Amino acid sequence: MIGQAYNSPMVDAPGQGAATSPLLETKLYIPKWRPGLVSRPRLIERLDQGIERKLTLVSAPAGFGKTTLLAEWLAATPASERATGWVSLDQSDNDPALFWAYFITALQTMRSGVGGNALSLLHSPQPPPIESVLTTLINEINAIEDDFALILDDYHVVDAQPVHSAIAFLLDHLPPQMHLVIASRSDPPLPLARLRGRGESIELRASDLRFAPDEAAAFLNEVMGLDLSAADVAALETRTEGWIAGLQLAALSMRGREDVSGFIKAFAGDDRYIVDYLVEEVLQRQPERVRSFLLQTSILDRLSGPLCDAVTDQGEGKGRLEALERGNLFVVPLDDKRQWYRYHHLFADVLRAHAMEEQPDRVPILHRRASEWYEHNGLPADAIRHALAGEDFERAAGLMEPVGRPMMFTGGQETMLGWLKALPDALVGSRPVLSGIYAWVLLHTGQVDAIEPRLRDAERWLETTSDTSEEQEPPLVEMVVVDEEEFRSLPGMIAAVRAARAGAVGDVPGTAEYARRALELLPEGDHLLRGVATALLALAYLTSGDLDAAYGIFADGMASLKLGGDIQHNTSGAYILADIRMAQGRLHEAVATYQQSLQLAMEQGEPVPRGTADMYVGLSELQREHDDLEAATQLLLKSKELGERAAAPDWQHRRCAALAQIKEAQGDLDGALDLLDEAERLYYRTPVPDLRPIAALKTRIRVAQGRLTEALGWVRERGLSVDDDLSYIREFEHVTLARVLIARYRSDRADRSIDEAMGLLERLRKAAEEGGRTGSVIEILVQQALAHEAQDDLPSALEPLERALSLAEPLTGREVEILRLVAAGMRNQEIAEQLFISLSTVKRHIANAYGKLGVSHRTEAVARANELNLL
Amino acid sequence: MADTYRIRVKGHLDDRWSDWLGGLAIHLQEDGTTVLVGPVVDQAALHGVIIRIRDLGLPLLSVRRVAGPHSNTKQG
Repeated sequence: MIGQAYNSPMVDAPGQGAATSPLLETKLYIPKWRPGLVSRPRLIERLDQGIERKLTLVSAPAGFGKTTLLAEWLAATPASERATGWVSLDQSDNDPALFWAYFITALQTMRSGVGGNALSLLHSPQPPPIESVLTTLINEINAIEDDFALILDDYHVVDAQPVHSAIAFLLDHLPPQMHLVIASRSDPPLPLARLRGRGESIELRASDLRFAPDEAAAFLNEVMGLDLSAADVAALETRTEGWIAGLQLAALSMRGREDVSGFIKAFAGDDRYIVDYLVEEVLQRQPERVRSFLLQTSILDRLSGPLCDAVTDQGEGKGRLEALERGNLFVVPLDDKRQWYRYHHLFADVLRAHAMEEQPDRVPILHRRASEWYEHNGLPADAIRHALAGEDFERAAGLMEPVGRPMMFTGGQETMLGWLKALPDALVGSRPVLSGIYAWVLLHTGQVDAIEPRLRDAERWLETTSDTSEEQEPPLVEMVVVDEEEFRSLPGMIAAVRAARAGAVGDVPGTAEYARRALELLPEGDHLLRGVATALLALAYLTSGDLDAAYGIFADGMASLKLGGDIQHNTSGAYILADIRMAQGRLHEAVATYQQSLQLAMEQGEPVPRGTADMYVGLSELQREHDDLEAATQLLLKSKELGERAAAPDWQHRRCAALAQIKEAQGDLDGALDLLDEAERLYYRTPVPDLRPIAALKTRIRVAQGRLTEALGWVRERGLSVDDDLSYIREFEHVTLARVLIARYRSDRADRSIDEAMGLLERLRKAAEEGGRTGSVIEILVQQALAHEAQDDLPSALEPLERALSLAEPLTGREVEILRLVAAGMRNQEIAEQLFISLSTVKRHIANAYGKLGVSHRTEAVARANELNLL
Repeated sequence: MADTYRIRVKGHLDDRWSDWLGGLAIHLQEDGTTVLVGPVVDQAALHGVIIRIRDLGLPLLSVRRVAGPHSNTKQG
């Protein structure tokens, strides 16, 4: 009755990824220090001093008591004085998503909810760059009032450079109330010399940690209950060089021994590696059943009674583990309930080496039993790990197939990729579903070049199964499929991967073709993949400028995702739908789209679906288009309140860019540029084409500031030319190019650039009119008017302007009234007093009028309004 | 092609560690050290051996490359 005795060691991991890789509570357990061990006040004092700095590094080889020292330090510090979180790292933390999930969950053991935004960013289907996650996390940590420490134990298991880089980034920006402690067998690849030089770190190293003679005496005689002479203690201390694991092994070897001095003499005079010498002594002195238990369970990273029972042939796992703990046999409890333990890592290594030497054929059997136990207890990730360790690749592959789909849609792609890479290629090749998952995972980890062979592997079997001719040679290997339903979706999934890959490399016809094919092939019931394929098709239409078709198809795709239970994409998709309506100049419909989606999001209740915060950004942009900057600002604040946990991954940069454009409309050009720089830093690339690139927005501001050289630099960098073929996706950049050319002409009337600008604008206008993009047409008409105006040809300027005004909103009566007073030379304060309105209202009206006139300061506005006979 | 390395650690190691240490041959020396000798396929494998030495808490005394790629293997 394993299931009954088994209590889950998991904590609830946010997000659906929990289904396949739950977080283990045991990894966050703070080891208990028990009185009776050797107390180390000199080291505790140094750790206390270190708390004022950024980093404490405890760096020493295995068996120097790093973990025990930190446990004593925490036991000596009341939690009321300073909260501490703990993570015991292991190999799986080389997946940055898992590493940071544990990191943040450890923070939450101290202060619930902290890091929630960063955590949900990590669990989004397409997580943003880690810097964005960390920036969010750092902001959340900054809101904590009290000082706290976070301990990362066994940091040496991490060899993933992205984790090291992120920790270095965190240390650079560490909030003052946080202190980081890293315990490791080797110095981590962090800028330690710099930290040292600035006095930002302290280090405890092997020379600090090794037992001094008095500590060795206290340990051997008091803790281990031996009664050794000073000379014997000195001999052991010399032989082990104060290495604590060595002293502990020696003590275990001496227990109950008659001739202790003889043993010490023999040990001291021997050159053998201490652990080899002593573990054999210890093992020999155990009853056979204990010895066998130790060797068999050495393959386990974590030990529980039921798990040990499943792996060994013996029954009494739980009792055995408790006895080992009482006997100081290198068993470390991982919780307070005496359910989970682990061996001291060094001891486990030696046991494993013994197991491999004595019973090499049995080790794979042990892994298989562990794998089966984990499988039956609903922990597929551990089951897969043991199957791989036992080189039972068939089993591993069989376990991986059913968890593929959930891992495809909720992060975990790095972990899945690691598993797939551990399988022999031929085996993956004989499993079409697994090959398809492989391709998908490669796509989502940015390894686009490696996809094609995997797709071909998958397709090979589809061709075989569809070919019914009798003469066909049977294939040399047999196809293996565990998940039949997934197999039915496979042809469509392959096409969807090809569509996404084509989209990633900017191949619009390819995207459309494969997306259509995916929709033909996918079963009606696979709403998620159908939704993905439909959305890809819509994006192809969007990119080519057919906005009506894009809108209809995208709406279908969102409906399909919603049917598949994916509300979050449905919510973030509203942004794209509204964006299309905006480009079409159908602003009211854009507002309606947002409002409907907000309604749907609100019906979901808590947690607020991702993408909700983005809708407020969109509504803000619409208000800005209406020149209501105050309302636009309020909506952005509302969006910020909802925060990242309610946002799609690209929310940060879009919010920044939206705020920048409000600043621009208010005339704060430098502020706008700063915000655009930040938006660039936070930029998160999505499959949705970027229709208003940040660099182009910056260029427009530079044009307004007269910084022509920089604007021209951007033109060169982007390789833009007036002779380019026009496409909707580059429309914003081409209009920006026209603006640059007009500005160039203004600065040098001899320049031919004005003719180029006029020609380009005319072509752009025709293209926009053909595509039904009224929003674009208005902007282009205004630029055409400005081009005429730059040549002092006011009559010609009026015509496009009037057409633009007929398409857009004219200046309001109030705006005209205020502009007249501006033209009369009145200051804003005077205008406010004359009209009995507040100064801020005056400023708002002026900003609105500037926006409509396409100008950025007073004299320009008055001149323009005069030219247009508006006053 | 694999280079041959000589790695010296403090203490006498049991033969059972050979499989864990990249299959290098274990030679016990009279001065109480152990020399591990053999072909190491590339830098990644070399670092793997050194990490396992670290994890066993063995003091590492020296690492030397004693011979380049075996010249008797034809390249082709």
